[in-house]
Amino acid sequence: MKRTFNFAKRNFIEMFRDPLSFIFGLGFPFIMLALFAIINNYTNGNTPMFEARALVPGVMVFSYSFIMLLMSLLVSKDRKTLLLKRLYTSPMRINEFIFGYAIPGLCLGFLQSIICILGGLIIYLPISGDYFTFTQSILLFVSQLPMLVTSVFLGILFGSVLNEKSAPAVSSVFISASGIIGGSWMPLDTMGEFETFCRFLPFYPSVYLGRILVEASHTNGEKYIFDNIASLGLIPIVVALILSVVLSILAFSYQSKKD
Amino acid sequence: MDAIRVNSLKKKFKKITALDDVSLSVEEGELFGLLGVNGAGKTTLINILSGLCKKNEGKVHIFDFDIDKNLNEIKKIIDISPQETSVAPNLTVKENLKFFASIYDVKEDKIDSIISTFKLNEVINQKAKTLSGGWQRRLSIAIALVSSPKILFLDEPTLGLDVLARRDLWKIILSLKGKITIILTSHYLEEIEALCDKVAILSKGKLLKIGTIEEIKKNVNNKSFEDAFVEIVEENQ
Repeated sequence: MKRTFNFAKRNFIEMFRDPLSFIFGLGFPFIMLALFAIINNYTNGNTPMFEARALVPGVMVFSYSFIMLLMSLLVSKDRKTLLLKRLYTSPMRINEFIFGYAIPGLCLGFLQSIICILGGLIIYLPISGDYFTFTQSILLFVSQLPMLVTSVFLGILFGSVLNEKSAPAVSSVFISASGIIGGSWMPLDTMGEFETFCRFLPFYPSVYLGRILVEASHTNGEKYIFDNIASLGLIPIVVALILSVVLSILAFSYQSKKD
Repeated sequence: MDAIRVNSLKKKFKKITALDDVSLSVEEGELFGLLGVNGAGKTTLINILSGLCKKNEGKVHIFDFDIDKNLNEIKKIIDISPQETSVAPNLTVKENLKFFASIYDVKEDKIDSIISTFKLNEVINQKAKTLSGGWQRRLSIAIALVSSPKILFLDEPTLGLDVLARRDLWKIILSLKGKITIILTSHYLEEIEALCDKVAILSKGKLLKIGTIEEIKKNVNNKSFEDAFVEIVEENQ
């Protein structure tokens, strides 16, 4: 436990001293919210996707993919510099490595979520006079935790199996995918079969769940409700969570022997 | 007492034989050199001895511990400074030492003595990534000593360093001589000659010769260690 904490502390410092963490992890979500608020303003509110209640859950899920990128970079760099090789000869165990990486990733994710929710409040409240309540904010925060955990462990997985050049490349595919198939800023509810396809992956169901909790509206003006799409959407969220954790542990363990 | 005892060690990576029937022993306190050209099996041998890689056949004992049965015990008494500097780049020199001390549950007094031994005071608050190659290597070896290992593996410790930085590290390594057992791999013949009590020459996974520098030179009737090394390796090509 003590070693896990000490390793997590090192990783936390390592991440927070890297400007990339601030640019992509913390600054980018705020910039995106501001950008979409401006677009929404110039379209006279005719883009429901860019209203705060619909947009903030989407930006949260999208932003977690940057946590995945940062995690994959951290792990792959530690492999490249042989820092991990040195630590493999120490009494540290695989679970201590995994949680030592996951804890700072989760902390960064918590901060990112808070920035998304508070950023949305700062940007949208003066413009539209409408924002979700404190309770809804807490519920939104909690509802997105499985997706955050999935992203952190996917980052560990990619960092374990890919080198420091290919890890960001593969992560960027996921970043794009989570933006598009997560429906963060695309009206998936008008896209028929494409929306059906997106329900099988965890991004869209997670955004959907968040939108229900903050009482967002569909493109046609109807409120998001806990319907069949939401209940069945819990399956890919849970499956992705379990798979990412299990696969990252297996991959890290395998790679520790191979490195 | 033998710090390391290796009997009939074999390691294969798919079809490539990395180590072929290697047997050797290293006495406690000895500075033991592993010499060989690229692909000779030096790093593989170090990886097996430090528990990073599993052997296919043979027996390895670190002091009285059998590597197959007591790897966790062995991990408490060894440390390694790998080929790359393997330090945390965004942590300062002191934070690096503190981090590794926390992993081994070592008290801060130990860090202070290491800082003084390695004369790290002038760079103590500098981030590791801003250090020169020589300082990074120095820090890397200092980190390896935080756990007070009985055996220290130094894999190409001076690779890529300029002459002055290399000589500087030699002094540090020589200051450790006799205090702990050191296994050092190197391409540089003059480094092995200057530092090591005993040398093993490896080529294509086979142990060709083992002995002191003088014994190896005498063995092949050569005047220089370089000539002896070349002759031994070429004879076995």
